Formats: sequence, structure tokens, C-alpha cells
Amino acid sequence: MQDTVDMADDPEYEEEEPSFSDPEDFLDDIDDEELLGDILREKPQEADGIDSVVVVDNVPQVGPERLEKLKNVIHKIFSKFGKITNEFYPEADGMTKGYIFLEYAAPTQALEAVKNADGYKLDKQHTFRVNVFTDFDKYMNISDEWETPEKQPFKDFGNMRHWIEDPDCRDQYSVIYESGERTAIFSNDAKEPITVEERARWTETYVRWSPKGTYLATFHQRGIALWGGEKFKQIQRFSHQGVSLIDFSPCERYVVTFSPLMDTKEDPQAIIIWDILTGQKKRGFHCESSAHWPIFKWSHDGKFFARMTQDTLSIYETPSMGLLDKKSLKISGIKDFSWSPGDNIIAFWVPEDKDIPARVTLMQLPSRQEIRVRNLFNVVDCKLHWQRNGDYLCVKVDRTPKGTQGVVTNFEIFRMREKQVPVDVVEMKESIIAFAWEPNGSKFAVLHGESPRISASFYHVKNNGKIELIKMFDKQQANSIFWSPQGQFMVLAGLRSMNGALAFVDTSDCTMMNIAEHYMASDVEWDPTGRYVVTSVSWWSHKVDNAYWLWTFQGRLLQKNNKDRFCQLLWRPRPATLLSAEQIKMIKKDLKKYSKIFEQKDRLSQSKASKELVDKRRAMMEEYRHYREMAVQTYQEQRSLRLELRGGVDTDELDSNVDDWEEETIEFFINEEIIPLGDL
Amino acid sequence: MAPICCNVCVFTDNSCRLWDCETGKQLALLQTSSAVRTCGFDFSGNIIMFSTDKQMGYQCYLNFFDLRDPQQIEDNQPYLSVPCSESKITSAVWGPLGEFVIAGHENGEINQFSAKSGEILKKAKEHTKQINDMQSSVDLTMVISASKDNTAKLFDSTSLEHIKTFKTERPVNSAAISPIMDHVVMGGGQEAMEVTTTSTRIGKFEARFFHAAYEEEFGRVKGHFGPINCVAFHPDGKSYSSGGEDGYVRIHYFDPQYFDFELEA
Repeated sequence: MQDTVDMADDPEYEEEEPSFSDPEDFLDDIDDEELLGDILREKPQEADGIDSVVVVDNVPQVGPERLEKLKNVIHKIFSKFGKITNEFYPEADGMTKGYIFLEYAAPTQALEAVKNADGYKLDKQHTFRVNVFTDFDKYMNISDEWETPEKQPFKDFGNMRHWIEDPDCRDQYSVIYESGERTAIFSNDAKEPITVEERARWTETYVRWSPKGTYLATFHQRGIALWGGEKFKQIQRFSHQGVSLIDFSPCERYVVTFSPLMDTKEDPQAIIIWDILTGQKKRGFHCESSAHWPIFKWSHDGKFFARMTQDTLSIYETPSMGLLDKKSLKISGIKDFSWSPGDNIIAFWVPEDKDIPARVTLMQLPSRQEIRVRNLFNVVDCKLHWQRNGDYLCVKVDRTPKGTQGVVTNFEIFRMREKQVPVDVVEMKESIIAFAWEPNGSKFAVLHGESPRISASFYHVKNNGKIELIKMFDKQQANSIFWSPQGQFMVLAGLRSMNGALAFVDTSDCTMMNIAEHYMASDVEWDPTGRYVVTSVSWWSHKVDNAYWLWTFQGRLLQKNNKDRFCQLLWRPRPATLLSAEQIKMIKKDLKKYSKIFEQKDRLSQSKASKELVDKRRAMMEEYRHYREMAVQTYQEQRSLRLELRGGVDTDELDSNVDDWEEETIEFFINEEIIPLGDL
Repeated sequence: MAPICCNVCVFTDNSCRLWDCETGKQLALLQTSSAVRTCGFDFSGNIIMFSTDKQMGYQCYLNFFDLRDPQQIEDNQPYLSVPCSESKITSAVWGPLGEFVIAGHENGEINQFSAKSGEILKKAKEHTKQINDMQSSVDLTMVISASKDNTAKLFDSTSLEHIKTFKTERPVNSAAISPIMDHVVMGGGQEAMEVTTTSTRIGKFEARFFHAAYEEEFGRVKGHFGPINCVAFHPDGKSYSSGGEDGYVRIHYFDPQYFDFELEA
């Protein structure tokens, strides 16, 4: 290779080299923006920095001797949120005025400071108020003119409780079928379902009823919609892109929506809580994972809602949507919590921590008083099961006793209505498959053991401090327990892999009323009154025989309803009864009188049904007969043609050609039997 | 000559064969380019029709041979070959007087093909999925179609008017009309491919009996432990037989109660 130094002198090289100089009169047309754009953008401007300034109020007023110390304290607190580039402590008469200005490196840091330091209690007399500087401008420039908000026209949705006024007390249920294409609402009649409403593409995934049955919620890409009233008009809709899960507050005042899509650090949008009546968005929250929905659990009266994060229990109150007492509870290691369905009490448990045993705590809200703590030893896991009225709490404790390898289970039964909440323990020898409280009573049912030896045990929590095993059924084909919402009756079901075995039990005397089967049943749903049970095979779990069957609470099959690609059936919940306990007692006393009237009514409607059916059949038969007569007539007319086609041989009847038949008798050997007659 | 020979269609070697029932002798072999689906004699026994499948680049054809012309058989040249470009024929039966063939298609359509010209005389689009089987009533005035859309439908052979529908929750593989009662029998089950071990409920595949006028099911006969592929009534109507995926053919004779049974009307 040639030495580059020599290149310039090389005559050959000089000839080939093009000139790189601009022509003489060349004026470049590139502006600074293009060349230096990125540098220019960083050029400091006058207005810069205002967005990064915060004003802190309620700062102690100090003299020069303590100013240094004050600055250090402020610095320590506020540099947590970012780099402080500037600070200004205005003074008057030798003392600081009580408010200061801090400038951060970026506006985001200023916002962090506002978010976290506002409300910070420095000491008894000084609680910081932190605001962004620009907010002052905003609030000072609010117009003095006040415009009356526009009056919204009253949207009359009619009687929202219309379905409860059905004279025959029929309950409604929603059915999703055709793999989600169609959704229908039926009124439940023992003879056959009565269609109330049916719409195509009413929902994009599934539906949910509100806890008191007032609203039907449907899911769409853009959010959810609530429907109600006699004609299921759209009451409200909530815009939450990509919503996948929802939850209602028990009082039906609020609905919580979750979407995995939209969430930014500044504007939490994963979970949104809405006010149903106004349609307003009340508050948004972040959410790491939706695995254990609902993330927010509501107290029974809708006054509080709470969620659990790492080592923290955050309890919020309504309608402000703010943290109760402005701060979350630090509960180190908290594993699970749940509200009593009857009172504002939270039960939670924490696992063992070094020397401190695991424990279950009952905490009263809003006082946060711990009304009961129960220590548990060698705990592997706990599950909380509340009885529906909040009368009892069962904590299922899986333990590995010292010196053993295996896991045993105890049920710790907390008697909530008794003074100081005594706890009784029931030891279980086998592994637990399912547990369920009688909804409004003091019994519970347990499925335990391992397939194929599964047993169902029934216990009664008695007033005298004892928990009695009433009955145990063994060799059960069951993996789920479904109590009637009114108590006493229940269904033990072996769903899915257990092929739909069903057992209907009356727990007043623990008898099996009926044993039946709905092959491949995937779901069991009681109606809210406890009169009917629906078992169903959902297309979501099994692709054939999709149908829902209606049974009486005693296990008598009433209907089999096949629906093309049936997916889901949900009974419409009922609001709490308006009758007082006294009135209910009176009605139960006079039940015989009422039964007579109802039975008569039933008989009338049945005979009406059979009459309708009979009339229908008669009409169909007449039509069919008429058609057949015409066809036979034509057939007769064509006889000659047929004879011609078959060369004159009559084949119209089986015995048209008896002459042609040959009769042949065939004998064949079947058996030989030798019977000795003895010596004759 | 009255037709006492029966055809057998052989899938594996793509042919249609003619046999003598009395002697069992093969009378003719007609090679085809694709598998033969369905075949049958017309009323006179002189004309045979069969359809070939849409396979390996070959279209579905409905072929007609006149047995009185031996040349057609020798040369394997049907006197009429009707192409079905849209949806292949899955099952077909002759009309009452040999004038047309009633064919069921893969898309649920039923067409009447003229045996003389091959043109479509009448159409019916009632089923939404493939037609699995077509059978005629004993007097050939009606046909019943069994379809994957979980129903069987009764049609008038000549007008193709849709008369009745019988609904179930499983695909219907085959249906037949009783020669002496107002009954139809249907057999079906899941697609052979979809049968998995979860469905081995012994003897739980049933033949279902419907009242032809009321469209109501009134009885079921258990016994098969696989889907039923074919059902047929004995010409005297006193028994029926069913053949299933389980490899069994079952023959059932009706009890006296069957003939006395009546739905309240």
C-alpha cells in the first residue's frame, strides 16, 4: 500500500481527486433549528422552572440562629423526591415567614413532592401543605362569574324493581348462548321458561347482575354498560377501554372496573371506581395483578372498601374515596383478609415470623380496635370462611404438627355473636375438598378425603359451646357444595371430571332426597328463593350437550333446556325482603291457607297447559293427515306408471305377490341330549 | 325384471359395483376417479345413479348409467354425468318414478336433479349444516334428511316442500320413516373424531323415536356404545335395525305396546 503522505504529491492522485470546496457564491440554506435543534431545545428560557417549583406552607417560623437547622431538616425531607436546585426562604422582621419555595430539577419531581409531602406532620403544630406554584395562579384566576350548571333532563327508566312485582313470583335469569352471540333474559316458570328479552351481541364476553338485582352489566371493548327497568333500557355506561373484570358494592352505589390496558404512572387507570347513579369516575387506582379479583373488598354496608398489598392493608371510606384516617395499616406479612358479611369487621391472618406464631386477627372498623386475636402454631396456610350473616367465621388452618411431615387441617370456629368471640376447634383427619356454611344457619358441610373415597360431613355449631357432627355420608361422587340461599337444603355435586353426579340433601334430618345425574354438568345455581336449582353444561367447558336443566329443591327434574352452544346462566338476585321477622312468622303459621290457594292455581294452569298442548297436537295432526291424503291420492293415480316401470309386476304392498312366494321348511340340528332311562 | 340386485359402493378403490343378490356374483365394476359416496337403483331397476366425492382435484359428479345399454357399462361411460361444483353430494335417493334424484349436499342444501337432463328441478335450503343421510318413505312420496345441524327434516319428494322438523341436541347421522306408523327413527352422536374417552358411557348412545305429525320425541332405545351411523325400518315396520361406530348392528323387534302407543290428542 502506498504511503498516504505521498498521495498528495502523486501526480496521478491529484488528477482524480474531486474538489470538495463550495462554489464561490454559495449561500447555505440550512437554519439553526435543523443543525442544532437538540442543543437549542435545551436553551434556558424565562418561563422555565415554574413548573418545578413547589410552595410549602406551615413551615416553622424561625430566627437566624435556627435557620440552618431548619434548612437541613427541609432538605432532608424534600430531597427524597428529586434534586433540589433552588430554595427560597422569605423573611420578615428577622424571622422566616412560614412558607418557602423549593425548585426541583424537573416538574415530575415537584409533583412527587406534592403527592407525598402534602400533609406531612413535622411536629404537633406544623403539618406541611405542599402545592405546585402554578396552582396558585390557577386558583386565583377563577372567574367570579358563576354559571348555573345546565339542568339535565330527567331520564325516567321506569320501575327499576319491576321484575319483583311479577304476580306469580317468577324469578328471572340471564342466559348466554350461541357461544356468546345471544343473551336472553327468561322468567322462570316450572312448565317452561318465558322469554322476557333476547338480544344479539348484547355483551361481548359475559354478563353480571348487581348484588340486589337492579342492574345487568354487559362487557364491551370500550367499557361496561348497565341495563335495567322493565324493558332493560341502558341506564348508564362507563368508559374503560379493555375492561375485563367488574365488581359491585353491596349497596349498588358503586361499581369497580378493571382493565389491564390503560395505566400510566401519573394517572392510575387500571382500577376505576364509579358512582352508578351519576356516572362519575370517583377514583382510579394502580393494579399490579388481577389474579385475585376482586382486589377491593367491600364492607357489607358499602361504607368501606379495602385492599391488601405487600405488608399493607389500605382501607378507604365512601363517599370521599379517601384512606380511612389518611393512612394505610402496616401489617407485616399479611396474607389474606376479608370483611364480615354482617358487620364492619375485618378478619386477616399473618404467617409465622421467627418467634411470633401465626395469628388470625379480627379488627373492628372504623375504630381499628382488635376485638380478637388467635395464635396458631406450625401453620402452612389459612382460609377464611364467613357465614353469610356474619354470625360465624371459620378459619381453615392447614398445619404441619411438630415432628411430623404430613399436613393436617383444623377448623377454628369463631362465634361472632358471643361475648369475647370464643373459638372452638374441629380437627379433620382427611384432606379437605370443600367447605361451606349454611347461609343463614349454624350448620356447615365439609367434603373430605380423596377420590374415590370422598365423604360428606355435616356439623352443627350448637349454643352450648359444642360443635356436633350430625351425619357423614361416605363414598360420595362430589367435589362441590351448594347450599340453598334459604338454608336447610343443599346439593352435593361432582362437577366436570366427576361427570355431573348430583345429590339433593335435606339437612334438617340429613337425608338424601334424591340422587341424580346431569352428565358433564359444569355449574350449579340456586335461584334466590331456594325453590329451584339449575344444573348446566357450559359450552365453555364442554363442547356438546350444552343445556341447562331445572330441578326442584328436592331434586325432581322439571325441565331440560337445550340451547345451541349454551354458555352461562345467572339468576337475577333479589333485594332483601321488606317483611319484618314478625310478619314472616305469621305467614309461616298460616302457610296451609296459602298453600290451598296456590295449589288450586297450579292445577288450573296445568290443565290449561295440557289443553293448549292437546289443541296444538290436534291441529298438527289434521294438517299432516291432509297432506298424507293428498300424497296417497297422487300415489294411487301413479299406480299404472309403477306397474309399467316394473314390467306389470305389482310391488305396491309387501304381500302383493303372494303367488311368487315359495315356502320352504328348513330343519337344522340344535342340540343333542342323552337321557339314560336306567336299567329297564 | 324386478331389481333384486343390490349395489355396493367401495371406497378404497374408487369404484361402483353391481352384484347379483341371489348368487353373490359381481356383475359389473365401474372405476371412478374419486370415492363413491352414494348410489341407488331407480324404481324400474334399470337405471343406477351414484355420486363421486370431491377429492384429489376431481369434482363431485352425479353419474347415471342405463343398465339396458351394456355398452355404457363396458365403456364405463354414463349417459349423464352432472357436475356439482359448489357443494359435494353426501347422500341421495331416487324420486318415486325414476324421473329425478333427490340429493343432500355438504352445505345442507337439497336438490332435485333430473335423471334425463341433469338440470336442477327443485331446491330446498332448510338445513344449516352437512346432510349425513337421506332416506325415502316406503312409498317414496316423502324423504327424510338427517343433518349435522342436530335436526332431521321431512320433505315431500316431488315438491321438496319442507313438512316437518325433528330437533335434537346432537348431530343426526341417519333417519328413517316407519312404513306403517306415523313415526320416524333417528340415530346420531358426536362426530367420530370428537368421541373421546369421556363419552364411554356404556350403552348410552340412543336411537330416538319421534312422532311424525307432532314432531315430539316419545321414546329412546339405548344399547350402542358409540355413535349410531345408520338406522332403517324393516319393510314390514315391525322391527328396526341400527348400525354404529362401535361395530355392532342391532336389530330390535317392537313390543305390542309400541303399536298401541298414542300421544294424547
